[in-house]
Amino acid sequence: MKGKLLRVLLGVVLVAVMLAGCGTKGGETESKKAEETDETYKVYLITMDQMDQHWVNLDKGCQEAVKELGNVEYTWLAPDVKDDAKQIESINNAIAGGANAIILAANGPDAVTATLEEAIADGIKIIYVDSPANTEGEATFSTDNEAAGKKAGETLLEALKAKDVTSGDIGIINASAASTSTVLREEGFRSAFEGTDFVLLETQYSEGDAAKSKDIAANYITAGCVGIFGTNEGSSTGVGNAIQEVGDSEVLGVGFDKSDTLLQLVKDGYLVASMAQNPDVMGYEGLKAAVEVLQGKDLAGKVIDTGVSVITADNVDDFK
Amino acid sequence: MKKILSIRGMGQVLTVTAGLIVLCIVFGVLNPSFFSGRNVANLLRQIAPILLIGIGQSYVLITGNIDLSIGSVVGMSCMISATLMTKGMNPWMAVGISIICCLLIGIVNGVLIAQFKLPPFIATLGTMTITRGVAQIVNNNYNTDSIGEAAKGFRDFFYYGKTLGLYNTIWIAIILWAGFNFILSKTRTGRHIYAVGSNVEAAKLSGVSVVGTTVKVYLISAFCASIVGLIICATSGMGTMDAGNMYEMYAVAASVIGGVSTLGGQGILLGTIIGAAIWGVLQNGLQFAGAPVAIRNIVIGLIVVASVLLDIIVRTGKPIKKVR
Repeated sequence: MKGKLLRVLLGVVLVAVMLAGCGTKGGETESKKAEETDETYKVYLITMDQMDQHWVNLDKGCQEAVKELGNVEYTWLAPDVKDDAKQIESINNAIAGGANAIILAANGPDAVTATLEEAIADGIKIIYVDSPANTEGEATFSTDNEAAGKKAGETLLEALKAKDVTSGDIGIINASAASTSTVLREEGFRSAFEGTDFVLLETQYSEGDAAKSKDIAANYITAGCVGIFGTNEGSSTGVGNAIQEVGDSEVLGVGFDKSDTLLQLVKDGYLVASMAQNPDVMGYEGLKAAVEVLQGKDLAGKVIDTGVSVITADNVDDFK
Repeated sequence: MKKILSIRGMGQVLTVTAGLIVLCIVFGVLNPSFFSGRNVANLLRQIAPILLIGIGQSYVLITGNIDLSIGSVVGMSCMISATLMTKGMNPWMAVGISIICCLLIGIVNGVLIAQFKLPPFIATLGTMTITRGVAQIVNNNYNTDSIGEAAKGFRDFFYYGKTLGLYNTIWIAIILWAGFNFILSKTRTGRHIYAVGSNVEAAKLSGVSVVGTTVKVYLISAFCASIVGLIICATSGMGTMDAGNMYEMYAVAASVIGGVSTLGGQGILLGTIIGAAIWGVLQNGLQFAGAPVAIRNIVIGLIVVASVLLDIIVRTGKPIKKVR
């Protein structure tokens, strides 16, 4: 009796898998012929992970566009952690799932090249958001991270100058050395300090963990830093919390990204400023561009800078 | 001196204590601000959460098992408490609910492993991923908003406040350590824990409830993790879905450096303090020394491997003292 049940179960599973496989293949050949009609387009968003607030907001932007357009079958795929191999897997899953277009935030510039070229050969259109890869895509919607980092540096420099501080140590808390976007921000930040009397210390990495970043920032403060830079949301939250704890500290902090907590920290003056990206714009415009491309438009690989807003205590309320 | 050495596990504890002192001196020489009052206070507060998860993991390791779900339980605790607080719940009620949810995970772990005989690695791997998923779902895949002014008492209690000159976090760690150390070394439950870890068959035949003991240690591990989750929530003032990432590994490192054996039945919580302290000192000191992050990873890895190696050499090399 047990054996029979097992065999029936296995049979059902086998049939289900076969049907799934067939269904996918059929879907793929169908979608390749998609033209400017009442076609439903299958668009996949692939980000670096599904936990960082940034991607969640990007997905939200995509969902807005999907709602408006009404002819998109939309799926958000991402690995559980930032990992090149896992992202390649996600792209492969999207291809197997019958994607017409893939909106991608590439983990690294080269790791996904082979997989993307396979996708392009299959007729899938690639749109980049946040971080492009080196393979040519239809369009890119991103923050110019290096420019934004430089802006952050200049903001900190100005604030320090306003306090008559022209030299001292500056601490940098980055997320991970493998994440192109934050690395570029750091590079931009460092470039703003060239030629000044400030010493930029060895970068510390926190994986974007807010609690870890707070410890690192507290250590920087103890070591006598006059300024600290956080390259993403988690790091910046830690910087702000550390400065808030010390209370009457002379240390100035500048951060990146936007969250309820960060806005509060900026409003209370514990962070001089935060560079707010526009992930929702990236998602919204990226999805619309994907559909445009699928309908035959040629975007010629244009790169659109979705920009950063500098949030300071003066304009915090505009961002709530 | 002989009396101290005769306590099982003391040998390794003394060795690593010497190592800790050396490390502190080296870092102090490389950067004198390492010894500043503020840094010592910060350092102790940075060690406290590692000690707490170390206690939980040590309990589990001593029974010959492992708990991989610690990091995710930390994250879930952080997210549940923060989400409830942002929705207007009284912070202390949120704390209570958070702890209860984490204890449930502990029971699940214990039952899966002891009752259903799942290998601890697999069972806690499963609960690890499930719990992380719960942490994400609690606030709809968003990090939470700021827990706000209403939670100031909560934040001060778990992280920012000081009592008698020491940060509350340090007191929490000390008090919990004292309690759990007492349980482990002076109560029958403690003896059962060592028994199950040394020889589970003999323990069962002697009438020790293996299922009961296993559930207890996983409960303790989950409890410690829940407290650390609350500490993190208090630190950041918000809930982050990736809180506690990899913490189970730090907990293993702290336990193992302190002499707790991964083979079970060996180790004392005093060692876990030293293990957690070494971990904390390395993180803190290497930053003050300006070492690149790669060096830190390599150093920490080497120390962990050396500690386990030492344990294995001592275990297989030394003749077991005969009980008279």
